[in-house]
Amino acid sequence: MGIIIKNICKSFAKQAVLENLSLTVGKGEFHVILGPSGEGKSTLLGIMAGLIQPDYGDVYIRHQRVNKFAPEKRKIGFVFQNHALFPHLTVYENIAYGLRARGINGKKIIKIVAHYLKLVKLQELHNRYPFQLSGGQKQRTAIARALAFEPDALLMDEPLSHLDVLERERIRDELKRIQAATQVTICYVTHDHSEAAALADRISILHRGRIEQVEQPEDIFYHPKTAFVAEFVGADNVFNAELVRANGDTTTFNLNSPELTGQLEIEARTYPVFAGKTEQKLCLHPEKIVVSHTSNGKNSFLVRIIDVVPQGAVFKVTGEISGLKLRAVVPKAAFKINSHTEKSWFCFSPDALHPLCGRSCRAAISQRACNNPKFLL
Amino acid sequence: MDKSPKVDQMETKQFTLFDILLTLLTVIFFAFIILVFLMLFTAVSANQLLRQLSSPLVLASIRISLQTSLIVVCLTFFFGFPVAYLLSLKTFKGREFLDSLIDLPIVLPPLVSGLALLILFGGDGMIGKILGHWDIRIIFSQKGIICAQLFVSAPFFIKTVKESIAAIPKEIIAASATLGASSFYTFRRLILPLSKNGILAGLAMTWTRAMGEFGATSMVAGCIPGQTETMTIGIYMNAMSGNLEAAVAVGIILLGFSFISLLILKIRFKRSYGYHY
Repeated sequence: MGIIIKNICKSFAKQAVLENLSLTVGKGEFHVILGPSGEGKSTLLGIMAGLIQPDYGDVYIRHQRVNKFAPEKRKIGFVFQNHALFPHLTVYENIAYGLRARGINGKKIIKIVAHYLKLVKLQELHNRYPFQLSGGQKQRTAIARALAFEPDALLMDEPLSHLDVLERERIRDELKRIQAATQVTICYVTHDHSEAAALADRISILHRGRIEQVEQPEDIFYHPKTAFVAEFVGADNVFNAELVRANGDTTTFNLNSPELTGQLEIEARTYPVFAGKTEQKLCLHPEKIVVSHTSNGKNSFLVRIIDVVPQGAVFKVTGEISGLKLRAVVPKAAFKINSHTEKSWFCFSPDALHPLCGRSCRAAISQRACNNPKFLL
Repeated sequence: MDKSPKVDQMETKQFTLFDILLTLLTVIFFAFIILVFLMLFTAVSANQLLRQLSSPLVLASIRISLQTSLIVVCLTFFFGFPVAYLLSLKTFKGREFLDSLIDLPIVLPPLVSGLALLILFGGDGMIGKILGHWDIRIIFSQKGIICAQLFVSAPFFIKTVKESIAAIPKEIIAASATLGASSFYTFRRLILPLSKNGILAGLAMTWTRAMGEFGATSMVAGCIPGQTETMTIGIYMNAMSGNLEAAVAVGIILLGFSFISLLILKIRFKRSYGYHY
């Protein structure tokens, strides 16, 4: 096992930042901690590295309790948001720093540094000082420096946030390649969900000092369990719904969101959690809405298009029906609209809707109470 | 590399009435400063200056000043650096109090500092009594000069170095720890080189201040010609006894010394890296 965090609590000036937080990062896993700014992500990394002392709880690295170990005794690499390169040392000396500090002999250092310079493609720039490097080159130096002493795990605190878009994508790809080559356990903090989706083996969503959901990216994005996770990962359409009738495979709901002025009936696939409840929170991923000029039958709504925002290869389309806003993401090629006041059909299958159970279960999707009939109450 | 335009590279070419007023006041201020210095040079001829500089008493005062101030610089480094390090990097109870205490010798009138030192090291003083058992005499000796100069000038070093260490980003020090470096290794490989300019600037300021010390030194060491008469005390004694020629000669040397050391500081010890890490 890589890193285990057990019941960590941390407050600053009587303000709780982390509350009874537990987390397991598997060996060789690329684990991303995703959450909004100011939710304690960096504090959590600081606690793992030994830079911050928790008020309560334990940290285990490779099954060893390291609470009382100073940062230099933990064998954990750390990549900081602002690179934190040593300004008076060259790229080569920055990478060699950890090796020299650990008393490794000169010949070995030359070999190791050459290997990591090659890994991060900085052989040509080994004599440069940090102020002579671009943001991406600095970050690659910081990654090589943190990896050179072969740490048990690598912690990365929003390492790409200071880079421009192109550089960010380039380093992101390189990071994936480096992780595959070194098989190092990575715990990576970010507030950017697209970055998390591109990098992670598993994602933990941190909210108000707690982990709200730990899942593979696909499951986090398409099966969020709470309204917060749904909205944070971009599944903007979250409804309060009142159960009307169960029709076997499908269940009919009346939407009762406060902004709704009329009555809207939708059909969802029947989930075990629907049993015995009249109120339900449902989530509809914007990508699962089809925008069309004709009705598709069930779950088809004629909406007034109020906003169209181009975003890369897609449009983010907002439609309104009876005061309720629905957001869809459609490929640019599949969407043609002449005016923002035009009406279109928003259609989605009953399978596109899923319940936000809000439970803090850690089971895989197939094992979840909300999905599996054997847990039916 | 940072390609964005720097604010300090932008120039404003238009002068407003406010700018003209500021310029006028600046000119008056500098005229005053330059006039004061010029007067010193007009008071003696080159021949008089050379004659005074070869006088044994003037030479002795220069020797005593250089000797004591250089010892003070060494002592300041060895005692002051740990203080600056602890005050800038460690958090502990009473840190604020100690920090304020460092400022006290800077704002305290040197005569009051001298008086306190006189009481402490005098024959009946707390330390004076103890040292008396081993026949060590601080008052009216060069040791007294060193004590007075150390008390008055060491805070300049501590303050400069403290600010220099505190300016090192905390992430850099944290990065060093996560890379496996011990506190001493971090000190040797990071803190020392990154605060080098602050250390050198602090030492230069301490030296300049020690050379120019008068109030506390005269209280503790008196003014025994050839023994405890430093350059500043020599200037005072000569000026009071009407020997303006000798006073001005030593004054010019001190002025030159101060000016050159400040100039070297400005040119040589500009921060070279910034923290573009």
